[in-house]
Amino acid sequence: MRPENYPSVSQPPSNEFELFYGPNHPGIEGNYALKVRVHGDEVTSARADGGYLHRGFEKLMEGRLWIQNIALVPRICVPDPVPMEVCYSLAVEELGGIEVPLRAQWIRVMQLELSRIAAHLFFFGGHAATTGMYTPMFWGITDRDLILDLFEELSGGRVYHIYNIPGGVRRDLPPGYLERVSKTLDYLESRLPDYDNLLFTNKVFVHRATGIGAMTQEQALDWGVTGPNLRATGLAFDVRRDDPYLVYDQLDFDIPVEAAGDAWARSLVRRSELKESLRILRQVVAKLPHIDGAIRAPIPNPLAWNLPAGDVYTRVESSKGELAYYVVSNGGDKPYRVHVRGPSAMHAVQVLEHLATGARIEDVAQIMFSLDACPPEVDR
Amino acid sequence: MKLTTATPNNVSASLEFLLQEIPGLRTKWAGPRRLRVDLSAETLPALLALLKGRAGYVHLSAISCVDWPEQSEFELVYHLWSYELNVLVKAHIRIPRDPGVYLSVYDLYHPAAFFERDIHEMFGLYFEGSPDMGKFILTEWDGPPPMRKEFDSEAWVMNQFEWQDYRPDWLAEIEARGGGITTRPQDIRKDGKP
Amino acid sequence: MSKLNSIPVAVPVVQQPSGGAGNLLANVFDELTAFCRSRSLFMLHYCTGCGAIELPPAMTSRFDMERLGIQPMVTPRQADILLVTGYVSTKTLKRIILTYEQMNSPKYVIGICSCTVNGGMYWQSYATAKVLADYMPVDMYIAGCMPRPEAVISGLRELMANIRAGRSDNWKDYYRHYDHYLGNQQRLFGENWQTPTDVIGEARHYDQFGPETLGEHTALLERHQTPLLPFEMRLGLGSESNK
Repeated sequence: MRPENYPSVSQPPSNEFELFYGPNHPGIEGNYALKVRVHGDEVTSARADGGYLHRGFEKLMEGRLWIQNIALVPRICVPDPVPMEVCYSLAVEELGGIEVPLRAQWIRVMQLELSRIAAHLFFFGGHAATTGMYTPMFWGITDRDLILDLFEELSGGRVYHIYNIPGGVRRDLPPGYLERVSKTLDYLESRLPDYDNLLFTNKVFVHRATGIGAMTQEQALDWGVTGPNLRATGLAFDVRRDDPYLVYDQLDFDIPVEAAGDAWARSLVRRSELKESLRILRQVVAKLPHIDGAIRAPIPNPLAWNLPAGDVYTRVESSKGELAYYVVSNGGDKPYRVHVRGPSAMHAVQVLEHLATGARIEDVAQIMFSLDACPPEVDR
Repeated sequence: MKLTTATPNNVSASLEFLLQEIPGLRTKWAGPRRLRVDLSAETLPALLALLKGRAGYVHLSAISCVDWPEQSEFELVYHLWSYELNVLVKAHIRIPRDPGVYLSVYDLYHPAAFFERDIHEMFGLYFEGSPDMGKFILTEWDGPPPMRKEFDSEAWVMNQFEWQDYRPDWLAEIEARGGGITTRPQDIRKDGKP
Repeated sequence: MSKLNSIPVAVPVVQQPSGGAGNLLANVFDELTAFCRSRSLFMLHYCTGCGAIELPPAMTSRFDMERLGIQPMVTPRQADILLVTGYVSTKTLKRIILTYEQMNSPKYVIGICSCTVNGGMYWQSYATAKVLADYMPVDMYIAGCMPRPEAVISGLRELMANIRAGRSDNWKDYYRHYDHYLGNQQRLFGENWQTPTDVIGEARHYDQFGPETLGEHTALLERHQTPLLPFEMRLGLGSESNK
């Protein structure tokens, strides 16, 4: 740097500034940006700026075979990749009229719930860090690693598994796997009181998160918010229960709701959801040894696999909300069109802009993390 | 007629009864909770108003656009969900590819702003009345709308970018000692100047 | 490619003093600097792609990068390492170049994930840049999709060894061959591409100005370059009353 090359800024005194909040900013989740105008420390207007993670997935998928795309889809949401694989597989199976074996469906539910727990643990860490508490972040990420170890044992990949393919899953569970899952669940359950002490009953956190970024149920419905953010405003809607897929209609679980709709409520909903996911996993672990059979339905040669013409819209509940794939086939060996409806596309753009406006500048990071926005889902 | 009880049989019957108010509309059940509706582009706003006002369809799940260059048409699909009926309605309309203009449904559904902006960027389809048709994702892109079928991404990439050699000689040596690539810029640059 | 047999192999051996003619203390200060530099690396906190998801585990309790003296840093001005964690879309690449030019020398770039090497699985994509080394000098690639935290740490250790031995000086290449890098940037971003950093002036300042610094692309830059002025603050309603 040569200071003499860069003259100092001179400007009339002002209380109002335009700031780039991201993409290179510690308070932003991923590679995403907000342009905010601040007056003092109050944000007077906010504008989301995405596209930093745009890879043109929808175009790429049109150029690859049905089976090849399974390697692309988990990359659309990095912290929570399994719902992407499952949702795409469900769409292809529905188009091709493939009946997935029961055992594969149960294994998929196990994967989905493990992924949800991993994403929620990551979320606790992120949300706590934006209020200045770093210990929950260290704990959450370390506990999440236990789940990544389970994924790694099953599929060979820590983050991207490419384990669910159209027709079922790639391979059966290794011996003793369910015991190790069970052990991890025991450990995570024993950690919940610690998390409560550290984070959810921590006065600093409660104080910082209460009343921040609040929205009413009416606003949430108006803006198309789904998932935990919608449940934090009091509406008990969950795709797993109300539009069931796989074997979720045979499982016993509750849908936790909170009324306040602020950052604190959103955090609490996810904490309760984590407990429900543990409950679902217990049922799956108990049930899986009694389900025998194939793990994959026979599919034609995947390199010359023409799916019948048609279109489907499949939805699953990811950790961020309602994830949907609209897949169109024209009878060829590649998708004619794939549209990914990422849940974050709603709450990371319009809702974030609304909630950040009027907030204080130090709360913008917390609002973004409490919404659990996932920028790659927006950009695709 | 406000539908609140959600048993599958009377829901499907009353939903179809309600939809008869729209002229020229064809319905088809694509699954237990999936109703496909084909209609003309002029009647779509009336259908959305009807569904939102009288059947509790408050959630616009997505707007998908499909390009059909052979017919010279864009297909727009509005995916709507009712939290009361638990039935997804897919409303399919076709609009001509040229001039590629349609009406925004932002007045009825606020999530439409994001999807319409996205379709405008990716397909070049303009929505009249949408609050913001500015660029969001492709701000650094000045080519044609990339999701149109005539845009060949692979040809464009081959024309635009150069590639690294896949099996250069020096890689074998590094692989032999177990990985860990350490390169100097002059090794990577094609001109080889020091 | 014949010269490529001399690619440095990362073994932590201290470079022999070149000057000083037998005086063991002649290079003490340089060596001390290199040692300290390699042991206190600040890594820019900029998550550019998928690979960023493996950095939190690498930084926190389980793999604990901090024991090596590597810590995240929030501003580019105080950072030493720029981690490019995965594919870079054209939009991100602009920001990465701005960030890279803002960092103080010596600075190191690590390309993590296969996408930074050759486009990876997004090779067909119209939106991503393919070879990161075309746009800025890269010190180290950590390949994989995505590399595990152990691989990231192993790569960083190798970088530390290189810094310790005084071999990692690719940042000088950006100044010496600015024309080459600027040309590639102009090809992607258009001829009007300009950063607010005076790279040529800095090349002279760091004594790295060479015959390849200037060329046809920098000539193009000078033709359309607007003078380097501070960013104008756009003032809102509050400012009038303050005058």
